[in-house]
Amino acid sequence: MSWAAHQFEIYAVQSHLPKKMRGKVSFWAIFLGDFTPDFLSKFWVYGFTINGTRYGSDVPHQWHRGFPGMGFTHTLFFGAVLALLAWTWRKNRAFTIGFLLGYAAHALTDINDSVGVMLLFPLLTMNFTAQTWAYAATIDGGKYLDAAAYYSSLGLAMDVFWLLVVLFSWRVLTREHWRTQIVPADARIWAWLGRWLPERGLLALYRATFFYGLCRMISWSAWARLFADPEKYGEFDVTSRGFPMDLSWTGPYWLDARSLGHVSPWIAYPAALTVLAVLYAVIARLWEPMGRRQAEHRAERAVATGSRGSSGNSGRSGDPGPSGDSDVSAQA
Amino acid sequence: MSPPSASAPDPQPGLPVGVESTLDFRGSRRLVGWEEWFWYLVAAVSYILLGIWHKWLLNWFVGPAWLVAFVVVGPWLTDRIGLTSRRGDR
Repeated sequence: MSWAAHQFEIYAVQSHLPKKMRGKVSFWAIFLGDFTPDFLSKFWVYGFTINGTRYGSDVPHQWHRGFPGMGFTHTLFFGAVLALLAWTWRKNRAFTIGFLLGYAAHALTDINDSVGVMLLFPLLTMNFTAQTWAYAATIDGGKYLDAAAYYSSLGLAMDVFWLLVVLFSWRVLTREHWRTQIVPADARIWAWLGRWLPERGLLALYRATFFYGLCRMISWSAWARLFADPEKYGEFDVTSRGFPMDLSWTGPYWLDARSLGHVSPWIAYPAALTVLAVLYAVIARLWEPMGRRQAEHRAERAVATGSRGSSGNSGRSGDPGPSGDSDVSAQA
Repeated sequence: MSPPSASAPDPQPGLPVGVESTLDFRGSRRLVGWEEWFWYLVAAVSYILLGIWHKWLLNWFVGPAWLVAFVVVGPWLTDRIGLTSRRGDR
């Protein structure tokens, strides 16, 4: 699994949108899409203990990424199903496309650990993994061992890579970008938040996911390297305080990487890049038709609301969508 | 006062084009330059250091709330005790 990479990639996606989509894709939808796969599955991966009884998965990696299990939550298929449901409900292009992009970013990034994801689910339930670093969520080690392994391996390099992608696109973090590209796509949400927060708070909220990713990356890395006591989390071939860094493929060496049935690691990246290209092509193809359908839907709703209002009904009007219906330039 | 608009902000009356007020739509001070960096840095350093020993702080809720709290409350406090100007340069 990836850690801070999932926070950074939200901004990376936002800053690398095709030109025609800039300022028209919901930031909160990208966030939600990126957040959803782990939100649906991870609580049971580490489990929790109440009165000495542990509640959680017996085989965390099978639950998290496998089939049977909750592995379907880390597939583009499931992301597309959720996006389709959102579209059917609100006809909100900014939200639907943003959610799908965020979901795809999460699923594709997770092909890097030794378990990987079911990239072609439901056509194929084999996992696609590049085995770049070891998947380390275990019952005994829990979140701590998982973090120690991730930040002692090429997982840290993945976080740094996504951090650099965002830093090279640093304008995505500026107030100017927030006001001209982010707020217009989610105007209702920002307006609602603006009832409680001043502008500096709203801007901090926009940057908060980046802040959280950066801080957790540094904090967990420092802990794993300098302060952690490996003996507390199992028996490892480690003598010093702190877990040793190992940047070899499928590292770190001091941990047995978990895995599931998978295709050859050599085809993981080509397959993921192909899927990403297809996804972008589909989204680019659907962009204008979705805009037209959204405009039609709003026109129909405005007529319906107007007729209800003229007949004396008190139905709700202007019901805000999940990410704000303010994309006034939705027409193709 | 109106919430943030869906487009680029209009310049305040009396200000040259391209120059924004230092006050936002709520009349709160905008953070610019060193002061903005200062509060983000204070939030980051404190969160990282505390996070090393108190891992429960490192989660999706506390992290964002930590930053927002520092950026919103910090300048308000320094304004109240007179370290910074609460009016800004309008």
